[in-house]
Amino acid sequence: MEDQQKVLVVDHEKCTGCRLCELVCSVHHTGSSNPSRARIKVVKWEHVGIYLPMICNHCEKAYCVEVCPTKACHREPDNNNRVVIDKNLCIGCRTCIVACPFGHPFFDVQERVTVKCDFCDGDPKCVTFCDPKAVTYVDADMIQVAKKREAANKFIDSTKQIR
Amino acid sequence: MATEYIHPIRNVRYLRPQREWKEIIAIYLYLAGMGAGSYVIGTLLNWFVHPTRVLSIWGLPLDFAKAAILWGPILVAIGAPFLIIDLGIKRRFLYACLNPRTSWVARGFLILSIFIVFGLILLAKSVLPFEWLHAESTFWTIAEVITIAFAFATALYTGILLKATKSIPLWNTYLLPLLFLVSALSTGSMAIILSTLGTGLLSNDSGALKLLMRGEQIFVVIEGIVLYLFLFKRYRAAEQGKDSVRLLLSGEMKLIFWGGIVLLGFVFPMILEGIASFSHGNVTLIFTAGLLLLCGGFFLRLGVLHAGIKDQLPMLRLMEIQYDNMAERWKPLSDNRREATGNTK
Repeated sequence: MEDQQKVLVVDHEKCTGCRLCELVCSVHHTGSSNPSRARIKVVKWEHVGIYLPMICNHCEKAYCVEVCPTKACHREPDNNNRVVIDKNLCIGCRTCIVACPFGHPFFDVQERVTVKCDFCDGDPKCVTFCDPKAVTYVDADMIQVAKKREAANKFIDSTKQIR
Repeated sequence: MATEYIHPIRNVRYLRPQREWKEIIAIYLYLAGMGAGSYVIGTLLNWFVHPTRVLSIWGLPLDFAKAAILWGPILVAIGAPFLIIDLGIKRRFLYACLNPRTSWVARGFLILSIFIVFGLILLAKSVLPFEWLHAESTFWTIAEVITIAFAFATALYTGILLKATKSIPLWNTYLLPLLFLVSALSTGSMAIILSTLGTGLLSNDSGALKLLMRGEQIFVVIEGIVLYLFLFKRYRAAEQGKDSVRLLLSGEMKLIFWGGIVLLGFVFPMILEGIASFSHGNVTLIFTAGLLLLCGGFFLRLGVLHAGIKDQLPMLRLMEIQYDNMAERWKPLSDNRREATGNTK
């Protein structure tokens, strides 16, 4: 049977803003504990207590792939249909960064190329190390199941209160 | 006066434009546009006026008139390395043509390369005195037509490059390539006027110069109209388009817009050229007007580039809605606390 396509899912309500995901991502990809080189970014609104981990959506119609002049940014249909950047082809023109509506690809100032999330080759470190499980790696078909289960639980709780 | 309400969530990215493409790209867009525009105007002048002024340098006769009106490809050739300077890994710049099927950067690389090569060959052919080069043949006519087509493509491409990124509402309009094309023609014709005046090719009361100046003034007026339409349409296009226009008109870019684009690019050159026309083509006034207009063309690219604000992310919009709901729920609590502490602010 063909492998089910998996995606990263963010639940911002569970995120505590600890930024451990940024740290482990940078350690895994660059060998240095430097969150500015991570492939995940946590956007924070400290004054209202909202934290939002921003990840690559590996879009169906990916603008980064479309605008890349060198085909460095490409899709791998055989590998979880992910969108990745080939460091050996990237010229660092940053067109993908300007084009991405989610502000995802990042310019690595040390390597002088653009980098992005590659699902850590099937074992995303941000998911492994996220204690509150704000970032999960699930089958694409199962994204809605968790939300439906949550809604059902809330419904059960509210009916109990009425009783 | 009541201060404008800024949303607490939205505040963090309020009027924050892109910072990936900066001044270097603006210089590249400007030189590419001006070079292409001046080549178009110069070729038309060459076809219909045939100016010629042969000077001997080291015993070699060179046609300086042709050099002065066909120097556009040199400007584009100077501008292209600025794009390479901006790359992360400069030595890989030749890779930039590998994806012309979907990428406008790759298409632009090819368009500019063809224009520079053909333009420089035609410039060399026109300037060098070899008789065998000057034979009137269909080959040179076809080459000139191809080059002028690529000159138009280069001028348009500078706008299409920005339009193709799609996620910035200020740039995502067909009016932007049109604006850059008209600006390329106005700055290009002014570059030709300056070079011909500088080389003494056209005297300040010749018919050709008057024709050029009339054309340049018409282009400036059209540019002004297109700029107005561009800003008007973008203001109504999307929330971030509105933010971009506000950033230009009244935000931190207002000095570049009102000082650089409007005064230097439109008002001063028109006034100075108007005065020059009454004083029998005063060369100093025309030179000053020309230099100011060229500066205005650069500030136009810089302003458009620096005012590009990305579309709002759906997730951030969700955050705003959630915050609004939360604030609505907490409102009675915060009102009670204010009343208890006596703080009515």
